[in-house]
Amino acid sequence: MKRKMQMALSLMLALVFVFVTACSSSNTEGGKNTTTPETTNATNEQPAEPITIRLATGNNPNWDDMQSDIGKFIKEKTGITIKPEFPVGGSSDDMFALMIASDEYPDLVVPGGSTNKMVDAGALLDLRPLIEEHAPNIKKVYGEYYNRLSYSKDDDAIYTLSLTGVGHTYFDSGSGFQLQHQVLEAAGYPEIKTVKDYEAAIKAYIEKNPTTADGQPNIGLSLNGGEWQILISVTNPAFIATGAPDNGEFFINEDTYEAIMHYQRPEEREYFRWLNHMNDIGLLDPESFIQKYDQYKAKIASGRVLGLIDQQWDYGQAENALKAKGKFSSTYARFPVTLNETYQDHSFHGTGYLPALGIGITKDAQDPVRLIKFLDYLASDEGQVLLNWGIEGKHYNVVDGKRVIPADLLEQKTNDNNTFTKTTGIGNYNLSARYGDGVKDPSGNYYTTTFPEQIQTTYSEEDKKTLAAYGATTYKDLWPSDDAFPERKYGAAWTLQFEASSQENVIFQKAQDIMKKRIPEAILAKPEDFDKVYDAFLKDLEDAGVAKMNAELTKLIKDRVELWSK
Amino acid sequence: MKPLTEGPQKARITLNRNRFWFKAFQQRYLYMMSLPFVIWIFIFSYVPVWGWLTAFQNYKPKDSIFDQKWVGFDNFIELFQDERFYIVLRNTLVMSTMGLIVGFTVPVIFALLINEMKGQLFKRSVQTISYLPHFVSWVVVAGLVYKMLSTDGGAVNQLLMWLNIIDQPIQFMAKGNLFWGIVTVSDLWKEMGWNSIIFLAAMAGIDPELYEASTVDGAGRFRKMWHITLPGIRTTFMVLFILSIGHLIGIGFEKQFLLGNPLVTDYSEVLDLYALKYGIQMSRYSYGTTIGIFNSVVSILLVFIANGIYKRVTKESVI
Repeated sequence: MKRKMQMALSLMLALVFVFVTACSSSNTEGGKNTTTPETTNATNEQPAEPITIRLATGNNPNWDDMQSDIGKFIKEKTGITIKPEFPVGGSSDDMFALMIASDEYPDLVVPGGSTNKMVDAGALLDLRPLIEEHAPNIKKVYGEYYNRLSYSKDDDAIYTLSLTGVGHTYFDSGSGFQLQHQVLEAAGYPEIKTVKDYEAAIKAYIEKNPTTADGQPNIGLSLNGGEWQILISVTNPAFIATGAPDNGEFFINEDTYEAIMHYQRPEEREYFRWLNHMNDIGLLDPESFIQKYDQYKAKIASGRVLGLIDQQWDYGQAENALKAKGKFSSTYARFPVTLNETYQDHSFHGTGYLPALGIGITKDAQDPVRLIKFLDYLASDEGQVLLNWGIEGKHYNVVDGKRVIPADLLEQKTNDNNTFTKTTGIGNYNLSARYGDGVKDPSGNYYTTTFPEQIQTTYSEEDKKTLAAYGATTYKDLWPSDDAFPERKYGAAWTLQFEASSQENVIFQKAQDIMKKRIPEAILAKPEDFDKVYDAFLKDLEDAGVAKMNAELTKLIKDRVELWSK
Repeated sequence: MKPLTEGPQKARITLNRNRFWFKAFQQRYLYMMSLPFVIWIFIFSYVPVWGWLTAFQNYKPKDSIFDQKWVGFDNFIELFQDERFYIVLRNTLVMSTMGLIVGFTVPVIFALLINEMKGQLFKRSVQTISYLPHFVSWVVVAGLVYKMLSTDGGAVNQLLMWLNIIDQPIQFMAKGNLFWGIVTVSDLWKEMGWNSIIFLAAMAGIDPELYEASTVDGAGRFRKMWHITLPGIRTTFMVLFILSIGHLIGIGFEKQFLLGNPLVTDYSEVLDLYALKYGIQMSRYSYGTTIGIFNSVVSILLVFIANGIYKRVTKESVI
């Protein structure tokens, strides 16, 4: 009995000990937080005491570790060293989920799809008062769209600063269906408007050239369907080819704002039927749905893949490798391909300014005021020119009042962009509010390096040859013009998120899992089994409760329309 | 008479107690040496268990654990009603059972064979080469497996085509029914040598006189293996086996995560992946904890059942 007592006592003692240590550590933390504002004011008077800030963001293989020209400049000017944390593996969702679970955050975060979870966990500071007081430049950049940064109808706090360019005009198109220049040249630059044209061009080429010059077999069409990019390369093109704008996984009726999952549209069944047909005739890479991203890029970089259905940012790295090797005829031209002539590509269906992927300051930040001032500097005219153009005299020169990139750097930027980014840092520090392409600064120059004349200088000779054959100056010219469709009042549905840990989120996740399994299954099925698999897919979606989720999204869309039309 | 009988008994009890403290005092250095480990285990294995409370709540990270909404068994009900859960449970159990069977028989046979070898140099090098893959990370192994089984110039397909066994490359990684086999075989390749080390050590501990005696009795090599070597490693084998049964349900997810792809998810998704996807990734911490509790309870049950059966059969116990 006594022994048991002693055991119990010592256990309790140990427990108390643990609690005491736990409490005392949080106490010291609290103490630190209250003292920071004073030290902040002190440091502001003597500028730029060097600090290191941690930033959690999506993967950037070209990160320069502040060693690039711009990185060094920023470090010197602001005293701030950025130490980024990248996710291990594909997506950043796990990284943020773990952060929330441990309740410890870096100073700055770019949470993307996890924003709602971060807000739900109380991890992000409301930036509105900070911006009002310390950040005139940020406010100026957002201008009339400032209020679109509000979190929701019920909560008008600003948790993240959207990193998408304000006033952005698209001068080039990175989307569509891609074909190698050599395929087009061999076919005599035929019209590429529908999937049938696209298929015919690949087929004709591969029949004549079953292998590449160095003897490897050519692949007709490869999709990046083995990882999360199945959305980019397999399912998004289904609505793009059937005349619907990008609303993420949904299709929104433009009049009633009724939402459904876009695969539920009968038109898209026909698109997947075409992919099934491509597989049946052997033009689709059989590894499309099992290959990892690295394998996919390696295939493209070998120059064997004749056609892609992807976004330029996704295959760009691999294409850069082709350019670096000088294999320009194996790089890609892009076309707005649709299922048949009745559809138009809605890639550029207007949205107004879309606050999307944004940067936020967390509650653990050592010095929020200094951070917002740092972000404000990056958003200033000086900062934006620095981030986009680099340092005068080094990365650009001013000739007759115009900024010009020296020829050798431009050559590197176009053909060896990975090295260019790493050494100059241009593109690595876009961490604050900024203007999009086509906006001019007070000196009459564009803020960004992408503008009509500039775009054409980045095209290779092959690009120019192909474009000339189609009577266009940029790929964008092949698409319907920006004002072809009326602006969407709700922006785009993919910027809306369900409440974290809600039933809708679970349904959404289930629907995604079903899609990732069933769509590849349907595409790889025998053509006579296609409908059977697709019907089973739709039924699985119904069983998962998609109707309930669709209703919730419809409500969110309507709320958004109301909030934004105020 | 009564006081007389009561007296010595009481004395014996106090004596026993005194003997305990006396012994404890004598062994005080041993106690002190083990204390840090007891504390370590306590802090890292027992203290976190109070987090199990979250399974009965709708846990939101911003509030403290005492301000949460209590939901009773809702999370458990949801878990047991999800058909996906039964699929991942099946996958977990099938893959771990396959791994258990193959992962024990093959290393034992391998150790037996190596043990019979004469040349020290050859023996050592075979052993070293066979356990080196243990140190290769799963990421690399998954890359190798993908490359070997690829339809696009993969070694296995090319070999089979060359041997005229097949005339079309097989999409190994796209076939759900092959996935369990692929995981088991790649795991075997990686861990066979490593797992055989402990058996080899046990075999080295067998008294050589037993072998000599059996030689005198006229036993051949296989007789000796069967009657001396195998019984000699029985205890080691059983301890390892029963402990592994405890891990049947918690096989981790590295292999399945890295080797899996959307086409085979119905065969590749295991409990831990399910907990990651529908628990942590969606910030449903309560749901993730629920799965964790299920795992722990089933693991403990499995160990006790296995030990119970072993006790019945052999009248010995490992725990």
